[in-house]
Amino acid sequence: MTDRLRALALADWFGLLVVVLVAGALLAFLQPAFLSTYNIYVLLLSFSLWVLVALAQMVIIAIGQMNLSVGAIGGLVAITFAGTMEVWGLPIPLAVLLGLVLAALCGLFNGVVTHVSGISAFIITLATLSIFKGINIGITEAQPFYAIPDAVKAFGAARLGGVPYMLVVPALAIVGVWLLFNRMVLGRQILAVGANRHAAELSGIRVGRVVVIAHVLSAVLAATAGMLAVARLQLGQPTIGDDWLILSFAAPVIGGAILAGGHVSVIGTCLGVVIVTLINNALVLLGIDPFFVQLLLGALILAAVMLNRWRERRREALA
Amino acid sequence: MSVRWGLPVVAVMGLVAQGLVAGGALASDTRVALVPGGPHPYFAAWADAAAAAAADFDIEAEYRVPSAWELSRQNEMIESLVAQGFNAMLVFPGDAVGTNSTLQELADFGVPSAALAGCTVDPSAASFCLGTDVARSAYLGTQELIEALGGSGKIAHFTGFLVDPNTQLRIEAVQRAADETGGAVEVIQVIADIDAPEPADEKINAFLAARGAEVDGIVTTAWVPAVVAATSLRNLGDQRIKMVGIDHDEVVLQAIADGFVHGTMLQNPYGQGYIGSYAMDLIRQGCAVKDDAPWLETAQTARFIDSGTAFVDAAQVADYQAAMVAVTEEIMATFKDDYLACN
Repeated sequence: MTDRLRALALADWFGLLVVVLVAGALLAFLQPAFLSTYNIYVLLLSFSLWVLVALAQMVIIAIGQMNLSVGAIGGLVAITFAGTMEVWGLPIPLAVLLGLVLAALCGLFNGVVTHVSGISAFIITLATLSIFKGINIGITEAQPFYAIPDAVKAFGAARLGGVPYMLVVPALAIVGVWLLFNRMVLGRQILAVGANRHAAELSGIRVGRVVVIAHVLSAVLAATAGMLAVARLQLGQPTIGDDWLILSFAAPVIGGAILAGGHVSVIGTCLGVVIVTLINNALVLLGIDPFFVQLLLGALILAAVMLNRWRERRREALA
Repeated sequence: MSVRWGLPVVAVMGLVAQGLVAGGALASDTRVALVPGGPHPYFAAWADAAAAAAADFDIEAEYRVPSAWELSRQNEMIESLVAQGFNAMLVFPGDAVGTNSTLQELADFGVPSAALAGCTVDPSAASFCLGTDVARSAYLGTQELIEALGGSGKIAHFTGFLVDPNTQLRIEAVQRAADETGGAVEVIQVIADIDAPEPADEKINAFLAARGAEVDGIVTTAWVPAVVAATSLRNLGDQRIKMVGIDHDEVVLQAIADGFVHGTMLQNPYGQGYIGSYAMDLIRQGCAVKDDAPWLETAQTARFIDSGTAFVDAAQVADYQAAMVAVTEEIMATFKDDYLACN
């Protein structure tokens, strides 16, 4: 038992867990409404969406690349999902399927172009961000799709006490991505490509295939977030995804991901999302002056990253 | 192509294109483009206004949207439109100061322009600024909310981009309306920078979780927060909290009809596009903007025209357009005499 506790304490995400628990206790002390059923529900709703966004970026960080088009893919799939149900009257499962297929194609495009051209994914996804967003605006002309089926709306608003039904989707995604990186060959190959692409090639890994799969997976996760956003907002808003970029990087980095690739932590990323969600929640609950919210948000995220990095260095020094 | 060197080139191309069009059947050679700062549902009414103005005034009027909210993209679009022969511009400034250089270069090539829905900062080549008096709209909306609350209570204010100078004006206006109650109404929280739907949903619901039982009223002064707050109140089934929204999104209008939102402060995007196109045609025909017109003065410009605002509640929501048509007709009735000197 003691060994297990020691192993837990040595886990790279343990410091984040402590931050989360301390921050939660502090918030509960300062604002009793923090622990209200409705606020727990609000927190879990935010977590449901943001964790998918963070995982979408984390998968690409694992191969040592960046995907700037995560939000644009999420937004494009969101309006496609909403639009096909409104305009074509597509049944919900078909609309979901179409959204996922579209996302896979977007990811395929990102992955293939990145690998074949040899140009940095940063540049490629910067371009495809504009392309996907342009298609979104071209289709919608900036007008939302309003006629969302009642079943989708009900799913977005349904809860069991403080637990939103929507949480089921990211829960499955978290388990899936954790299994990928911890139990599956493909996950190890992704990390190997991120750690040392040349060495991965020499060891027989088909790097191109791995890069393309990572981009497809990233896009599918982003698409899932986009469709959840439609369910939550109860409309297909063309601006869905516009605000995802910073969080998509912040959460994995807080969670201990190495931007150069080769190391990511699914649990750390989840805790990174929890920290950012807690910070956002706290800034509202504590009634912070709106002109200082951005400053505090940035400072607190930086503090969380620094704290975790300090803890890792201390652990390495002790080892 | 930079704007500075791009416009002279495209202006020449535009003159050629204009010459080609001149031989056509249009009674006026005015070709006005209505260019918002980027994609946003608020501006959709400009397309209808352009079509109506084209039919009513025998001009060509088109609504063209830059693909993103970036000043450079808007400038590139304006260049492109001049190259296509458009000879008058109605522009929502991508930047209150930055847009001025583009408008000045348009003026240098004989292309008149006006700022629509948002103003440029003086000195500006814009003939005038036609838009909502945002402070007045926020003030009146808050007054409507206070009246609905019976004159006392605690209210929250949800608003948009902090970098938008109008946001500060809105915050001050809401506070002023509350202050005038002598302490009976208190603004307990302002949540800003929630123009994207996901953060708006996150923060508005966090507020309702923490202070929903405490707050009596909500005033929103930006499109997205209005939509999200209306949805949240509907999801909660809360008809105790009174809310006054802004604009005419379907979600807000339906929430008014269903009793979840008390009312909304309409702006007049249609009137802006219609009156703006009319004015551009008259200016193209030789009318000059009067110095002694009944201009309103704002923090940005001394040549402001209020395009009107109107409160709509459940009683008027079914025919909400009528309120703005009335305002538009009122402005149109005296616009030429009030603001322009024509031979």
